[in-house]
Amino acid sequence: MKALDIALKDMLRSLRSFFALLFMFVLPLFITGMFYFMFGNVAEDGEFNLPKTKVIVANMDAGGPKFNVDTDNIPGGKDADTMGELIVGILESDDMADLIEVSHAASPAAARAAIDNQTAQVAIIIPKNFSDQFADIDGEAVIEFYQDPTLNIGPGIIRAILNRFTDGMAGVKIAINVFMDEAEQKDQARVGEVVQRYLKISLAETEDLEKELLDVHVPASENAAAKSENFLIRMLGPIMGGMMIFYSFFTGTSAAQSILREEEERTMPRLFTTPTSQATILSGKFLYVFMMVSVQVTVLLAAARAIFGINWGEVLPVTISAIGIVISASSFGIFVNSLLKDTNQGSVIFGGLITITGMVGMINTFAMGSPNADQLGDVSLLVPQGWAVRGLTQAMRGQPINEILITLSVLLIWSAVFFIIGVWRFNKRYV
Amino acid sequence: MNNSPAIEVLNLHRSFGGNKAVQGVSFEVKQGEIFSLLGPNGAGKTTTISMLSCLLRPDEGDARVMGHSIRSDQMGVKSALGVVPQEIALYEDLTARENLNFWGKMYGLRGSALKIRVDEVLEIIGLSDRARERVGKYSGGMKRRVNIGVALLHKPKVIYMDEPTVGIDPQSRRNILDSVIALKNQGMTVLYTTHYMEESQEISDHIAIMDHGKVIASGTHEELVKLIGGQARIELTLNTNAENVIAEWKTVEGVDSVTAEEEKISALVNDSNLVLPRLFESATRHSARITSVEIREPNLESVFLHLTGRALRD
Repeated sequence: MKALDIALKDMLRSLRSFFALLFMFVLPLFITGMFYFMFGNVAEDGEFNLPKTKVIVANMDAGGPKFNVDTDNIPGGKDADTMGELIVGILESDDMADLIEVSHAASPAAARAAIDNQTAQVAIIIPKNFSDQFADIDGEAVIEFYQDPTLNIGPGIIRAILNRFTDGMAGVKIAINVFMDEAEQKDQARVGEVVQRYLKISLAETEDLEKELLDVHVPASENAAAKSENFLIRMLGPIMGGMMIFYSFFTGTSAAQSILREEEERTMPRLFTTPTSQATILSGKFLYVFMMVSVQVTVLLAAARAIFGINWGEVLPVTISAIGIVISASSFGIFVNSLLKDTNQGSVIFGGLITITGMVGMINTFAMGSPNADQLGDVSLLVPQGWAVRGLTQAMRGQPINEILITLSVLLIWSAVFFIIGVWRFNKRYV
Repeated sequence: MNNSPAIEVLNLHRSFGGNKAVQGVSFEVKQGEIFSLLGPNGAGKTTTISMLSCLLRPDEGDARVMGHSIRSDQMGVKSALGVVPQEIALYEDLTARENLNFWGKMYGLRGSALKIRVDEVLEIIGLSDRARERVGKYSGGMKRRVNIGVALLHKPKVIYMDEPTVGIDPQSRRNILDSVIALKNQGMTVLYTTHYMEESQEISDHIAIMDHGKVIASGTHEELVKLIGGQARIELTLNTNAENVIAEWKTVEGVDSVTAEEEKISALVNDSNLVLPRLFESATRHSARITSVEIREPNLESVFLHLTGRALRD
């Protein structure tokens, strides 16, 4: 009971602090709100949409060896006799309709002129020999990408789409080269068949491009899915999640610093003169840290849902990932503060350690849509924040509960190590 | 007044690294008395109080507070005790009432008993009408009163007050000294540390003088003063260098000794009221004029000087 009294007293003090409220609730929502207004505009129906990127295509591809792909496998279901037509088909598919507005130019010069005149934002120029070069083992198929230098987001998305496609095609070429080098003369007749199969698979993967690039998750329910279709809201989810995790670790550390503050305010020694055991006093302080982060995460989840319409996923997965965030942020704060001598050292920790680990943990969010996102995602797992981000992302994507539980388990291991060291050091400090 | 001891201190020792802060301190505090630990800064008073509050573990020795050992029954000691720390130890962002409520809970008070006692303590410290203000907005004196109020919440048998009047205005100091005497009148035992001789002289039933971690003298004020024989010191200056005057003063009845150092002449006398007129007569006879006189009655300052060769305020 006394532990709860201590925790409630500390909560009352914190909730009276302007700075605590600022860092707990206002800043995460404010920063996410800035993204909301930076990348979106208010549509008439009140929804937010990223402006479509105007793409002009000069498809000069004269064709090469005929290939035969089912139209079902080509985005948009269009016929495509050349590699150039295949690319145009992808860009004009319904999946891309929310993002891209495609027009055609008669020549490369006309396409470039459209960019220079700012009537389009990205020009894609497919050369005359593109299919030929692709089919030639020694050939080099190159697409020219010409963009308005003042823009980043839209062209970045188009570039990522093309990269994804050309990576797949490059894979086809490598496969052919290896096959031609290694196969017997009689088997080389099967080259066409191999290319067909490879294209089929590659194109099937290309259909998921938008989802991969835009971090689209499997919606929790049909109702939720309908609401989550808006691109901006899907982008805001990971940003808000990252902000929430970053600031929850900040809150955990700041709340645990109350132990050091009480030492400096001389109230900690006074607590030890009351008939209250050391274990109860420290439990109260730890409970306070846990309660603060719990309140913060709960409020931010609800507020982000209400303000930005972010769909965090099903209740159970998001609860599990939120528990992971709360436990890891609290134990991290206790651990960090147990290493400190006083609150002066704490300001260095706040400025340095939390920012650095927080940034590393959020790499995935910053690298959203980047071709290197997977590798960077692995780096983020070096810090607990990275695992917390992973858990929340899994919940948002509707991944199986056992995968989320694995992430939670890793977070619990991190937390146990932090907590045990922190408790041991604080106990030692006050013996 | 009950004669069984409220506090028994038995040969306490405590070192910090190589520094021996407390070396074999022993004393006994009777129930219902005000016992002062008097000594300069660094004498070991706060370290002694910290050990008696179970904040520090003694290297050697033991103490009993209302029969509870500080080594083996710390919860018993803490339950019997109210501690007023030297520095203000309150939550400045909480109101006085919120502070008292919280600390009351730490002493085990709950529900209506807590509410009633908080109201009583607010009355005692004279802050009932400002109980809803945050402590951070209070003056230094008001904070001191809340600081004392916290220690009274659970109606302890024994209160430790560690230099409670440091750095406050004379009016607040007066209030605090009056409240200490009031606590004694309510039957509480007060262990009071100070480096102000006048305070301990005014309020204490018993005084232990500490220096360099040891109790160097202990007793009532009168007993301590007797250590220097109860003699007053008269310090004078003359308008001329009159060796013959000084020689005659040594023969004046009631004068124990006379010493001259530069222009200042000191005479140790048994009764300054009787001796001083004789000194004036003697000076007039030798055509000398006394230009200044200062009478120092025997006090704890003199005792400390006598025992250590240093002034208490050094």
